Amino acid sequence: MTEVKTYSKLGEALAKGEFILTGELEPEKTTDLSHTIHEAKEMAPYVIAANVTDSPLGIVTINSMAATHLIQKAAGLECVWQMTVRDVNKLGIAGMIMGAHALGIRNVLSLTGDHTALGDMPESKPVFDLDSATLIKLVREMVDKGSINGNEIEAPPTLHVGAAANPNAEPMGAEILKIGRKAEAGCEFIQTQVVYDLDRTIEFLSEIKKYKVPVLLGIFPMKSYGMAKGFDTFVPGVSVPKEILAKWKSVKNEVTDKKQQKELYDQYNYDFFKPFITELRKKNLLAGIHCMAVHYPRIFPKLKDIIGN
Amino acid sequence: MVVITTKKPEEEVFEALNNFNAKNVLVVSCGVCAALCQTGGTEGAEEWSEKLKERGFNVTNAIVSDDVCDNREMKKDLRKIDDDVKKSDAILTLSCGLGVQSIIEVLSKTHPEIPVFTANNTEFIGMTERIGRFYMRCQGCGNCLLNETGGICPITTCAKALMNGPCGGMVDGKCEVGDYEKDCGWILIYNRLKELGRLDLFSKLRDPLDWSKIGHQREVVWR
Repeated sequence: MTEVKTYSKLGEALAKGEFILTGELEPEKTTDLSHTIHEAKEMAPYVIAANVTDSPLGIVTINSMAATHLIQKAAGLECVWQMTVRDVNKLGIAGMIMGAHALGIRNVLSLTGDHTALGDMPESKPVFDLDSATLIKLVREMVDKGSINGNEIEAPPTLHVGAAANPNAEPMGAEILKIGRKAEAGCEFIQTQVVYDLDRTIEFLSEIKKYKVPVLLGIFPMKSYGMAKGFDTFVPGVSVPKEILAKWKSVKNEVTDKKQQKELYDQYNYDFFKPFITELRKKNLLAGIHCMAVHYPRIFPKLKDIIGN
Repeated sequence: MVVITTKKPEEEVFEALNNFNAKNVLVVSCGVCAALCQTGGTEGAEEWSEKLKERGFNVTNAIVSDDVCDNREMKKDLRKIDDDVKKSDAILTLSCGLGVQSIIEVLSKTHPEIPVFTANNTEFIGMTERIGRFYMRCQGCGNCLLNETGGICPITTCAKALMNGPCGGMVDGKCEVGDYEKDCGWILIYNRLKELGRLDLFSKLRDPLDWSKIGHQREVVWR
């Protein structure tokens, strides 16, 4: 059996088959990362790594590679650098991958990125020279072969590359075949889009199991009713179940004490996600959890309790 | 194949002419693609002649040509009206961008001093459903993938021109660009290949487009 090379804590944990928890950090339109670093420090004891987003929804924020480096340095938390192919061509991306390594970044998540037309600079030229699969292929060539387009890199980068998957995608068949392409390109882990539908998630994860890529399930514990409602309304393709919305609404309307409200929201998240995750683990479909609830670091002790290590 | 054009705002056209102090304008209208798009043809030539006169320009002539984009034919057409060309201090084309550049090249030796303007914006290479309904189906990328994608072009129908779609912006077969009203090109491809029983083609990991072949001043010269 070939020994799996690991370059990061995340890579090492996945290779060992540990059940892991990752978080998400969303730097904003700013040069001051102190809020994000504070959040990173809060989640650091509970997660193995945290993703750092790359101008989500096409709304420009501080560069994700710079933010990843600064967060890692200041918070001592390993990060997963999210890199979209939206804004930079292949040549630029290859340079960034070497730069990222030099800055101490060891994990990258390959994403297409929301179209520029959706964001706050819609006049910007959308690049998409690569796509999420060919970016994975590029990283793997640079890391495994130490070359770009066959040209040798003097000191090659060492990063683990992950992919996204969407269990909510309809038609599911197309999404499954697409994951097959990403697996063929060499992705080393998958982080899914947020899920709430257990049956659908089981069906999807069972289908992609054949690709033998460890899957971290994307979850979004909801900090408040407003957050749950907003997520349901504004995130296309993901619906928050009606019973959750009703339950969260009752906390908002019926509980006046803020502290008690917070405790109830946290407890309800625990009550919903514990059986959800447990069921999927029982079926051996997961390698871990990826919690995308930004600005909700107090939920991590509860999630840690659910995954139990 | 039709090069689809739309009309520029009139003021923009007049501004361009005034910027060059043009007074005597020759109108050259395309009788093919632009006529179909109602941005040229005989009607366009008449319409623009009137507009120019109303604004105080002198129209030296207004011709409709079926080959504005063909240097050979354009040369012949312009030679026939050379006296009018001589009197003109600007040419206004009612065609696609090819028309403007074809005329410039044709007149480069005989009348290099005459600036050539366009009244239109060139939109895309289009497919005609009916007059007034034109759709982009080809971007002329020089690397036709249609044989592998069930005859549907991902470069054109995918808003991101991805080689390995669909992306996460697809919801229920629709594209995130344009508020989920347009079909996701990669789902069209998926459905078509499924219909043909060839999803193996959909599964194929495709390399990025090779821009060293398609990114420069392109020409097809075989003799």
